[in-house]
Amino acid sequence: MQEYIIRRILYTIMTIFAVATILFFIFRVMPGDPTAQVISPALDEAAQARLKEAFGLDKPLIVQYVLYLKNLVTLNWGRSYTTQHEVFGILKYRFWNTIFLMGAAMSFTLVVGAGLGMVMAWKRGSALDVGSTVSALVLQSAPPFVTGILFLMILSYRLDLFPTGGMATPGMRLATGIQMLFSKDFLHHLVLPTITTAFYYLATPMLIMRDSMLEVTGSDFIELAQAKGLSPNRVMMKHAARNALLPVFTVSSVLIGFALGGQVIVEQVFSWPGMGQLMVEAASSHDYPVAQATFLLLAALVIFLNLISDISYCYLDPRISVGGGKH
Amino acid sequence: MKLESIKDFFVTQVGIITSNRFGKFGASIILFFGVVALLAPWIAPHDLWESLRDSNGKLAMLRPPSLEFPLGTTAMGRDILSQMIFATRTTFLIGLVSGLISIVIGANIGLLSAFYGGKIDEILMRFTDIVYGMPFLPFLIVLISLFGRNIWFVIIAICCIVWRTSARVVRSQALAIRQRQFIMAARARGCSNLRIIYGHIMPNILPLLLLYTSFNIAWSVLAEAGASFLGFSDPDNLTWGGMLYNLWISGKIRTAWWWFAWPSICIILLVSSLVFISRAYEEVANPRLKQR
Repeated sequence: MQEYIIRRILYTIMTIFAVATILFFIFRVMPGDPTAQVISPALDEAAQARLKEAFGLDKPLIVQYVLYLKNLVTLNWGRSYTTQHEVFGILKYRFWNTIFLMGAAMSFTLVVGAGLGMVMAWKRGSALDVGSTVSALVLQSAPPFVTGILFLMILSYRLDLFPTGGMATPGMRLATGIQMLFSKDFLHHLVLPTITTAFYYLATPMLIMRDSMLEVTGSDFIELAQAKGLSPNRVMMKHAARNALLPVFTVSSVLIGFALGGQVIVEQVFSWPGMGQLMVEAASSHDYPVAQATFLLLAALVIFLNLISDISYCYLDPRISVGGGKH
Repeated sequence: MKLESIKDFFVTQVGIITSNRFGKFGASIILFFGVVALLAPWIAPHDLWESLRDSNGKLAMLRPPSLEFPLGTTAMGRDILSQMIFATRTTFLIGLVSGLISIVIGANIGLLSAFYGGKIDEILMRFTDIVYGMPFLPFLIVLISLFGRNIWFVIIAICCIVWRTSARVVRSQALAIRQRQFIMAARARGCSNLRIIYGHIMPNILPLLLLYTSFNIAWSVLAEAGASFLGFSDPDNLTWGGMLYNLWISGKIRTAWWWFAWPSICIILLVSSLVFISRAYEEVANPRLKQR
């Protein structure tokens, strides 16, 4: 077990390193002169040379690569081409904004999804079961910008129930940190992006919970619990649901990983100042240091979540043996 | 013999898809979009970028649906019906090409990995893990912004990611089949490795491959729509996502519901049709589901 976990962690580090390497080469092999998009060709020769040196673009590729890795590890991620701020400083603040939104949205998705899945299995074959399956599949096919814009059109513009975007009402951002997280204004801004994300990802936990519930209710120990004369509610909640939650739990970190990539859209629609919105801004203005660092940070998060999923899987399900791993 | 078996194959596939209500619905929607995509230049009443004028000679900006403009017009007075028809063509092309390329990549990686095992399996699966670490949309955005907003770069970028799920699923299925007796029999007869992989293992996972072809097309359509909604698409080849991007940057989402409704409905219809078809195959690939 311990050996398995250590090996997994090593793989994770290697994967992050590989993604960083791929990214470096993608940024260097792009067509045309890579410096042209960084340094305005309108500048005179001397100024261009100075900038090239400042960005390390005058050195051979392999030296640039080593420099890149060194800067990556030492958190020296360069400066934004457009605003000249330190990339690390910009990301620090954006990172937490994304985490807050993701945390709220995915907890909501998983709790509601598992709950609905449980009820569906309970009322299996009923109109509720069939209806929920179909609507989950359709919701999964509706990209978040469609549901997001729909919510904005109806709930914000027409009914004026929710703010149209951002994290706080302008001029109202007095609280910071924990205080901000629990302020009414912040929670009010959080509602629409949370529901939009949940709509898109709800189907996965819901259908998995439904299937796993059906599987569990067919097993002997449930029959035993029923034979003991326990009430159906108690059998469902205490005996069946607890065991059925396992696959939902293991899939959740992979799902959050997928959702991190999709968060770009939700943040763009609701002008949420997170990493996704930053990514779009940076990529459209060719602000490469920012785009590169944001991408890497998102990738590292996804890879880390995959690690959590692997480890929790073998901890939670004793039936899985992680021996040699040879087939 | 070949022609007969190809015919049989298609008859079986159509049977599987139409054996279930949702599959039937999905197949008819896809057929409809396919016909529209094929005939686009002949059935579109106007050019993609033509600014229309009404009978008084005024620019027909933001007109709601009417007899003159069946699906309404955009902020630049362009006909939404014509844009929808051409966008169907581009969206369909991107979805189909990337879906097919990615299932070929995914199936081969999965099959080779399962069949050879050992070092080859290790390398291919570590590579798949790396691709799993790439956040999909950010990857698309970076690649498209670096290499240019061109429909082929969009397709390549989508293919780079979408294959990953099919590779893992095909591998685990192929591993199970590799242990079966008829594979050992084929080996004993002296069949070549390639023959065993493509002649014996692959036909046995065909329902799974078709299921994931449908999924891959659905994911490609969603990814393309997402990237073009964010403004990362070929400006010359409008897609449904691109139409929504134009609506978004025009700032008219408060009023122009028709500009929003048609492309959104079509994205949902196409993707859910593909998902329904996958469900029909899922019942074949995984018969346990049927009893539920």
